[in-house]
Amino acid sequence: MKVAYYSPLPPERSGIADYSALLIPALKERVDVVVPARGHTKPPRGTELSVYHVGNNPDVHGWIVDALRRTPGVVVLHDFVLHHLVAGLTLARKDVAGYLNAMERDSGLPGRLLGLGVVDGCVPPLWSTRPEDFPLAGEVLDLAREHGLIVHSEHVRARALAAGFDGPIWRIPMPVWPAPPAEPAPVEGEPVIGSFGFLNSNKRIPQLLEAFAVVRTRHPRARLLLVGPEAPGLELERRIAALGLEDAVERHGYVEEARFWSLIAACDVAVSLRWPTMGETSAGAIRVLSLAKPLIVSDVDAYGELPDGVVLKVAPDEREVESLAASLLLLADDPARRASFSEAARSYASSEHGLDRVADLYVRAFEEAAGGPAVREQLLRSVAQGAAEVGLEDSEAIGSALREVGLGR
Amino acid sequence: MRIIVTHPQVPFAHGGAEVLAERLTEELNERGHQAALVTVPFKWYPRERVLESAFVWRMLDLTEVEGRKVDLLIATKFPSYAVRHPRKRVWLVHQFRQAYDLDRTELAEFGESAVDRATRRAIHELDRRTLGEAEKRFAISQNVADRLSASLGLGAEVVLPPPQELDYRFDEYGDFVLSVGRLDRAKRVDLLLEAAATDPALRVVVAGAGPDRERLERVAAGHGLNGRVEFRGRVDAAELADLYARCGAVYYAPVDEDFGMVPYEAFLSGKPVVTTTDAGGPLDVVADRRTGLVTAPRADEVAEALRYLRDHPAEGQEWGRAGKAVAERVTWDAAIERLLG
Repeated sequence: MKVAYYSPLPPERSGIADYSALLIPALKERVDVVVPARGHTKPPRGTELSVYHVGNNPDVHGWIVDALRRTPGVVVLHDFVLHHLVAGLTLARKDVAGYLNAMERDSGLPGRLLGLGVVDGCVPPLWSTRPEDFPLAGEVLDLAREHGLIVHSEHVRARALAAGFDGPIWRIPMPVWPAPPAEPAPVEGEPVIGSFGFLNSNKRIPQLLEAFAVVRTRHPRARLLLVGPEAPGLELERRIAALGLEDAVERHGYVEEARFWSLIAACDVAVSLRWPTMGETSAGAIRVLSLAKPLIVSDVDAYGELPDGVVLKVAPDEREVESLAASLLLLADDPARRASFSEAARSYASSEHGLDRVADLYVRAFEEAAGGPAVREQLLRSVAQGAAEVGLEDSEAIGSALREVGLGR
Repeated sequence: MRIIVTHPQVPFAHGGAEVLAERLTEELNERGHQAALVTVPFKWYPRERVLESAFVWRMLDLTEVEGRKVDLLIATKFPSYAVRHPRKRVWLVHQFRQAYDLDRTELAEFGESAVDRATRRAIHELDRRTLGEAEKRFAISQNVADRLSASLGLGAEVVLPPPQELDYRFDEYGDFVLSVGRLDRAKRVDLLLEAAATDPALRVVVAGAGPDRERLERVAAGHGLNGRVEFRGRVDAAELADLYARCGAVYYAPVDEDFGMVPYEAFLSGKPVVTTTDAGGPLDVVADRRTGLVTAPRADEVAEALRYLRDHPAEGQEWGRAGKAVAERVTWDAAIERLLG
């Protein structure tokens, strides 16, 4: 089977580019994969199925949606919230009507009016302020309806269904990067707690600092690593100073790949919080698990789907700081518990997110998407013909039985 | 209990799986249950027929018959387990192996077209749902249970089917090797014929019919085995029991067989079995140098094993007796207790 695989690829700096760089070689061992270069929206000759990786960044995924519009296919939906993408595909291309239509489709007339406010400049850009309330995934879901949707979490699957998507959906875990033999970076302190990736308020960095301050009262040598570039407006320095944590927090900004791994390896506990989310699954969290690190995540959306015995979860509610501090202390106080979570993390990452398993699931989805509609159609026609020949036209009973065994839509 | 046993039927074909379903029904009736066997013809080609055949089972209503409830349903082989019943149990003989482990082998049914690939996947999905919804799953061998687990992640307890009723006896440790079974490529009778070609003292009797018979006869003639290999065709129960009773050893080396009744029948006649390391189900009971000999799937090794048994009859008889002790533990009482438990 020849599959055209549309995705960003390194050196583009995108998690999805890294994901595809990892996955494509494993897929090529199983099917004929052709990867069109950026901007090439026409599928190569002989393509039997096109697959499109869609995320929220218009610079990275805009051309991929253009290709999807030209030739519908399977969509790998990395984020459910696509407001930023849609704004890039419409307003950034002077297509005001397209943006307003997307808003109306998402939220009816109030949505259109709100969109008009954005266009007129009297409402702040919704893709920055309230994207989660207006995900604007409608067009992409429509384009995926015929061939199907690949998602990474039950959360995105449920949201797609709630949005009226009635095509095939495959839930496929994100593939895990084979953990390189990373030497732990020398970091003083005990225990060492780390947060990895872009530092912003969605990652709950302010709450993490406050909880860490509580941990320090019982573990004065505790160390917090913040690894990743800081978002404007976070005022990290001021927050650290206000909590008196200047000597306990180590900041690293953007670091190269090898350094990134060695800093994760240096941690006793990792924290990967997020609220609100865009419906995404965190590649960073899966990486941490693959290095067998005890992990604390937010108990929301895709993060909340990680098994209870594998991670500790903290709800982003009014008691978030208190719960987070309690979870950190639970792990900080008890090396045996850390060891137990560490083993569970390693086992879960390799079994659930193993590259071979993920590639096999992708191929299953490709094969079902490429030939499935014809197989279902053929069967339905044959069964319906038999029923009609004997004067039976109760197509609902037939359709229902077909769906029960996975042979109907 | 009122129990329905379901089994697909290929008209004019009658092999181990059919015997198993019929016997199960009879044995249930003998134990005071009211059991009935329900069959539906199965056609697997052209490939779209596979799903149609499976879907026919789904449209049946076997929850009650003549206004009286059916208490339990025991399905056996693909696609008879697609049937709907609130108390469905599956005693899995095999899945549609062409969609699984036989895919992309010389025994494959599906090609590389998008429709062929998707049909194969649709069978997986149908199996996942219809086997998954069963109240309990059993498999006729560890091999079948392992395949189910590896392919769909579904578990199954192993319940070995007892061998058919025959006048099992040991008359002699005779001078011929017996091969029993349907003649198709997967049973690998070729390997025995090739082994016979390397050992002029080897005599072979082949009992069984099937689509591969003519080709096998040509292979035998090609090897110059006329007179040393005898194709008996399908034999009746008395003749089969007689062959088992008089042979020196039984050869049974199919490719990755689901279960394989033949070793049990050989053991009940006190005969050792020669099989191969890739035979699948037979390896559950044929243990090397304990109940027979297990060789690499090569003609020279098979010939060597059969020669060894001819030259060491005392060991062969000892292994045959050990096999008999194993086979005698596989009874209908034990199987039914677990299937209904």
